[in-house]
Amino acid sequence: MATQGSSSERPVEEATPARGVEPSAAALVVDGLSKRFGSGADAVTAVDNVSFSVGRGSVVGLLGPNGAGKTTTIKCILGMVLPDEGSVHIQGVDVYQEPRSACADVDAMLEGARNDYWRLTVQENLRYFATIGGVDPDSVSDRHDRLLDQLDLAEKADQPVRSLSRGMKQKVSLASVLATDASVIFLDEPTLGLDVESSLTLRRELRRIVEERDLTVILSSHDMDVIEAVCDRVVIMNEGEVIANDAVGRLLSDFETQRVRVTSADIDDHLQRELGTRFEVTDVSTVDAATRIEVTTDSDGLYELFDVLRVNDVRLDAMTTVEPDLEDVFVRLTSAERR
Amino acid sequence: MSRHRASEGDGGQPDETEPRSATHYHLARAVLYREYLIFVRYPANAIGGIVISLFFFGLLFYGGRMIAGQALTDSLEGIIVGYFLWTLSVGAYSSISNDIGSEVQWGTLERHIMTPFGFAPVALLKGVAKVVRTFITSALVLAVMLVITDTTLQLPVATIVLVSTLSICSVLGLGFAAGGIAVLYKRIGNWLNLLQFGFVLLISAPAFDLGWTGFLPLAQGSALLQRAMVDGTRLWEFPLVDLAVLVVVAAGYLLGGYAVFEAATRRARRLGVLGDY
Repeated sequence: MATQGSSSERPVEEATPARGVEPSAAALVVDGLSKRFGSGADAVTAVDNVSFSVGRGSVVGLLGPNGAGKTTTIKCILGMVLPDEGSVHIQGVDVYQEPRSACADVDAMLEGARNDYWRLTVQENLRYFATIGGVDPDSVSDRHDRLLDQLDLAEKADQPVRSLSRGMKQKVSLASVLATDASVIFLDEPTLGLDVESSLTLRRELRRIVEERDLTVILSSHDMDVIEAVCDRVVIMNEGEVIANDAVGRLLSDFETQRVRVTSADIDDHLQRELGTRFEVTDVSTVDAATRIEVTTDSDGLYELFDVLRVNDVRLDAMTTVEPDLEDVFVRLTSAERR
Repeated sequence: MSRHRASEGDGGQPDETEPRSATHYHLARAVLYREYLIFVRYPANAIGGIVISLFFFGLLFYGGRMIAGQALTDSLEGIIVGYFLWTLSVGAYSSISNDIGSEVQWGTLERHIMTPFGFAPVALLKGVAKVVRTFITSALVLAVMLVITDTTLQLPVATIVLVSTLSICSVLGLGFAAGGIAVLYKRIGNWLNLLQFGFVLLISAPAFDLGWTGFLPLAQGSALLQRAMVDGTRLWEFPLVDLAVLVVVAAGYLLGGYAVFEAATRRARRLGVLGDY
């Protein structure tokens, strides 16, 4: 899988916790954020001691399954949900002490929300949100026109948003956020509910605009492909906690060459059982009367695998290493957490 | 902060214009223009409000005349003035409280809260727009009421507009409070809308006879408006104390209502339900 995000030359933060990071040095510093809902036995910890920082101009993905705490984390960062503990600094300003100043250069597209006015036209929405975002819309009309072109909305500019398709509405929502000239953008599940084509277009244009305008973006999604395509770095969350925080490319390389896919007509049930006792078998399937078995091992284990195959006179049809994607990383990390 | 930084467009070409900061003037223009667009583009709500108001007035007038006969005709001027103020109040109250509920539902309340201006000036401007809008629709209702009943009223426009506006300010405060409660407890808008029937009691409260009732929303304004429209009293002819009570009540309920809204949204943020609907 292509890792467009990891190949760029954008600044990538080290995978260090936020503690000790000088708030003014980063676009965002989250330190020890915790939020519990309810009380007593019914209390649910939605965010548990979350810390990370985001460098200026970088694109960071918050990845996790539904209920991992991504949206609550973003809302805590923006002050829309007040945390029980922890601090957040945006561009060096404390969000809870000086909320107006901290969010002066910030805009957000939040999950499940329309974020804009469907009874206004696309263009009117851009102008309105630019204004309340602190920018005279007349001074950025050229930028708005370009934004509409980039997001393929130019022909719909004078149509009320309510008359547009779901994908178009999502693009308008994104456009209204980008129209504000904010340099720190939060996008919570920006491709949620979009069809494959709309999702691809949105993530491609998003990446282009981010690079063009040197934006700092914090993007949450449970869609690994979106994170992999758009982000430089990923913070993986599970059950309210950060379980990984690293550059996308580095996370992928950590898991590289650990999975091997062997295809052969000579793999019978007995051999499958033997491989199962020696290695972690992650998948077994049948391909054109041959058996394809996928095992996860380290480099030493590879020699052992070859020995087992040789001893059992297995004639190989194919043997490939499986390139890991974020889904593999995520599954392995979360399963390790459970253990 | 780099809110208005220069940037480069496609091909490294700089933008044609440098982004300029928006002022409160730009904000006012944007909010009022948006309200205007919604009003002219979707007139069904306004027309529906006018039709319903006239329907209920028709019931009140013709039904009352059948039952009470001359007694109703004797007090007709007062009823028309009270009904006019009631339509103004209901329009302002329901539009501001429902508007806040809609902003929550659309996710735009959260966006407003995190902007450099915050929600307060936007809410105030929305209030102004709602008052202007309800003045237009209520003026139409008033005109039709006068024609239907063949009644003549004094119409000192400046006095009516000022006294009515100050009266409605207290109702806007109640609207903000109701909107805040709806942000916190969700889907109780229909219950809060019942409050508008309580406006009838407030409008008919004897503000001049029982002094303390003048400090209830609408009561003092209603009494002054009756004098202006029935007796032809001009603004400068009112005792200063009566006008002072009107101003204090207007400011008190408006600020108090907004304080309730702020407290409710803060509580909603603590509970994590601000954007829920």
